[in-house]
Amino acid sequence: MAESLLAVRGLSKHFVSGNETVPVIEKLSFTLGQGQSLALTGRSGSGKSTLLNLLCGLELADAGTIVLQGQVFETGAKIARQKAMKWSSLRRQQIGVVFQEANLMPALTLLENVQFRAQLAGRSTASSQDWLTRLDIGALAQRYPDQVSGGQRQRAALAMVFAMEPALILADEPTGSLDRHTADEVTQVLFDLQARYGCGLILATHDAELAAGCQQHLDLGHLSSL
Amino acid sequence: MKGLPSLLASFSLPGALFSHYRRHPLQLLALAVMIVLATMLWTGVNHLTSQARASLNQSEQAVAERQQVVRDDGQMLAVDDFVALRLVGVCVMPWLEVTPETGNRLVGIDPLAAYCFGSRNRPSPALDQPLNGKPFLDMGVATAIKSRDSRLYLLTPDTTQTADLPGGYQLTSFSTSPDTGELGDSFLLNLEALGILVLLITALLLRSVYLLGLVQRRDSFALLHRFGVSPDRVQRWLVFEILALALMCVVPGVGLGRWLAAGLGGGFGQALDGLFDIPLYAGQGQGWAMPVLVMLAVVVIACLGDLLLLRFRERLSLILPKTVYSGLAALLLVAGLAMAWLAPSLPWVFIAVALVFAGAGWLAPYAVARIARWCAGRSTKPLALWRYRELAVLARRLTLPLVALQFALAMVLAVQALVTTFEDTFDRWLGQRLEAAYYIEVPAGADGRQAAEWLTRQQTNTPGLQWHRVMRGQAQVTGTDNANNPQVDVFAVAPVGALIRSWSLLEAADQHWEALDSGSGVMINEQLARRQNLSVGNNLKLRLGNQQRVMPIQGIYPDYGRPVGEILLSAETLPDSFNVRFESFSVTPGKPGIAQMTDALQGIWQVEALSMRDNGTIRELATSVFDQTFALTRAMTLLTLILAAAALLMMGWVFFSTRAWYFRLLVAWGMSQRQVAGQLLRLALLLTGGIAVLALPLGIWLTWVLVHRINPLAFGWTLPMAVYPAFWFELGMLSLAVGLSIAALMRRQLGRPAVAPVSASALTGGER
Ligand SMILES: Nc1ncnc2c1ncn2[C@@H]1O[C@H](COP(=O)(O)OP(=O)(O)OP(=O)(O)O)[C@@H](O)[C@H]1O
Ligand SMILES: [Mg+2]
Repeated sequence: MAESLLAVRGLSKHFVSGNETVPVIEKLSFTLGQGQSLALTGRSGSGKSTLLNLLCGLELADAGTIVLQGQVFETGAKIARQKAMKWSSLRRQQIGVVFQEANLMPALTLLENVQFRAQLAGRSTASSQDWLTRLDIGALAQRYPDQVSGGQRQRAALAMVFAMEPALILADEPTGSLDRHTADEVTQVLFDLQARYGCGLILATHDAELAAGCQQHLDLGHLSSL
Repeated sequence: MKGLPSLLASFSLPGALFSHYRRHPLQLLALAVMIVLATMLWTGVNHLTSQARASLNQSEQAVAERQQVVRDDGQMLAVDDFVALRLVGVCVMPWLEVTPETGNRLVGIDPLAAYCFGSRNRPSPALDQPLNGKPFLDMGVATAIKSRDSRLYLLTPDTTQTADLPGGYQLTSFSTSPDTGELGDSFLLNLEALGILVLLITALLLRSVYLLGLVQRRDSFALLHRFGVSPDRVQRWLVFEILALALMCVVPGVGLGRWLAAGLGGGFGQALDGLFDIPLYAGQGQGWAMPVLVMLAVVVIACLGDLLLLRFRERLSLILPKTVYSGLAALLLVAGLAMAWLAPSLPWVFIAVALVFAGAGWLAPYAVARIARWCAGRSTKPLALWRYRELAVLARRLTLPLVALQFALAMVLAVQALVTTFEDTFDRWLGQRLEAAYYIEVPAGADGRQAAEWLTRQQTNTPGLQWHRVMRGQAQVTGTDNANNPQVDVFAVAPVGALIRSWSLLEAADQHWEALDSGSGVMINEQLARRQNLSVGNNLKLRLGNQQRVMPIQGIYPDYGRPVGEILLSAETLPDSFNVRFESFSVTPGKPGIAQMTDALQGIWQVEALSMRDNGTIRELATSVFDQTFALTRAMTLLTLILAAAALLMMGWVFFSTRAWYFRLLVAWGMSQRQVAGQLLRLALLLTGGIAVLALPLGIWLTWVLVHRINPLAFGWTLPMAVYPAFWFELGMLSLAVGLSIAALMRRQLGRPAVAPVSASALTGGER
């Protein structure tokens, strides 16, 4: 395989609740090529969100190595502060994160949200309106998040992510709170744009149909039961 | 199917409702603490006020609506006069005012002589009280007191007619010191206004804490509704719940408030005494029922008032669009400002203050939100845009605690300015009046003239010697618009030397001291000028002794002692018929020292000992009495401010927490935690700093009202309006410290791992 976008080796993460240690991710390894998509499945509590957080540095792993865009993150190898800075700059410019809900700043209009995200990533804000249009919500640009529907909000969230021209998109059940029809529409747009702009995608979902749309498949529930 | 949950819910409804507080015990604690503190503060202020009111009422009652018999020739009354009047059957009661050498003025009365007062031989209620309380004493005791000043009055019932009197006597109205009623009332009014302000602020804080919990409970209310529990029942339980909580907290709160008042109020009666120069009884305490009921009502109204009035409000907001509200607020503000400017009497000024506070409180959060949105419109950077938009949301969501903090800041600012100004002015005035190092009384029967001549001879060869002779008495201002020609105190001085010339004047003609010295003019105090509408250049018509004089007014001097008119003139020009009630010398002995001087004066007056005061000690004493009053006022306002600041801190933190998800979103978007914390800091500082800035004009305006409107209307004198930017700075720092603390608390929260947004509003896009 050519230069891979993401390589994970021996990744482990546990949480401590009370005096009990709960292992969530144990010795996980996988790779993702440039422009490829990966579906992350598993039952609730299997660690999908945790893995996504590890992959963008919102949480730090206990053990293992993550190589992202040629940058190597090893546990304990670097001073935590420096590592955090590196993750920040990656999230700012390379990794787009989409959550199940509340991806937009409530006090900013849809357009302002897209502009904000683009500006943080150091991209031009000139195309922000175009992104909204491409996601079929161009007419809603001046509305605030509470003035549009849940599906429209998730479209806006996708517009924001694409406006920052990321190398990797981490989507955590992005359609989890939408109805079937809307969810399908939004996912379709996501796959289309991802294919068109050639960025990597890791999609956490417990929807088998959505997962089928991805090129690769990783079942955490299956893994942890091994 | 539907019956079971409804049945279950009906059994456990209180439990279901209360479970919220089991999950959030801190919220319950905050609510309880807030009720206790609010009750304590208000009860404290209220208790002090009612104590002062009881004292004032009693002393006023004792002197109210009386008339007295005076001599036609203006001479002081003596025991002979009493005998003469009683012999012709006029009902008179002796009232002897004595000022002991140490301590406050006392009044000796003779209850036996008062039998003829009141109808059907029933003694007047005011005099029916046992004579065990200071400062009213039995006449016999009063005459035995060694005093520096005493005066006999003969009171007579309203039924006495001029025709009943023998020749040489006439009737006039009697009051120990004119206008004390107004003076006392004004002070009480000020205290009460302070109390109401405190109550308002605490009610706002209480409401904000309660609403916070209510918002979080909305989900469970909805759930109960789905279970078939009617909203009415939920509301009834809520009322019951808050009543129960209030009852548990109000009672200890009232106890604490009384404890606070008792602790602070010990010196308070004394301070009032010194402040108004009127005799006071120690007030009896108030009952418990009143404050408890008032606070219960306040708690219920503050917490659930709008819930109960919801329908009315809904109807109102159907009629009135939102802009009308802020228009209405602006109207209130403008009307209040205009009214305060033009109000002819005290009650109107207080109404105006209420209007201005209502308007300002209504407008302030709008204003912050507006300004934030305006700034957002002008900002080109998305981050700045985000910050200002977020500020607008915060300002609207934190309306109540913000307004409470604004009011508290304004109140503290005004009270501080007033008190500090008063202290400064009072100090300067005392300094003026007590310019000389010593005050020496001329003994009864001795002649002051000889001493004056001796001092004049000493003047030439004693470096540093400064002195003047003072003769006090009374005169009548004639030819005024008022039908009753007012009595004024006369302060006659000679020579008009450096001790007097250092006085600062409010208004003066050219060569005023020279004119005073030569006897071609007088000076009057501010009280007289205001009351008679006199200014420099006007002629003052006076009856001095048996002479009628017309003298031009050369100057007006500030006088903060008593609300009595006073004139200052040269003692050289007094007619012989002038009744000198009191004669003294003010002396700064210079190099030889005081001992040499007292020896000489004792020789001149042929006495063993001199009645002499060290003015420095008096000054200290007077200042300490005032300090006590001011310390009390300051403590009350400061407590309120601390409460408001703590409440904003708590509310700010809680509300920021509900937005924590969005702040963490910034981290997810690639900003470092440090950067996000920086943004939060700027946001919190903008918020609390903004409210401090808005509190400033309100506080300055309140100072102006106190100094330039309330004081002249109530006391007859103005204070110079001073501003204290250093104190503004301190208050600003306090506000920023609150902001800083909110940001610090939030920073800790940012460090914790992200969880989904807690508030239900996040599901619909989040609040803006
Ligand atoms: N901060 C935390 N502290 C302790 N335990 C945690 C923490 N975050 C997650 N966990 C635990 O780690 C496990 C994995 O959680 P995670 O949120 O990754 O699951 P998930 O697969 O995303 O589930 P879902 O499909 O419900 O979103 C769960 O058992 C959860 O309880
Ligand atoms: Mg998850």
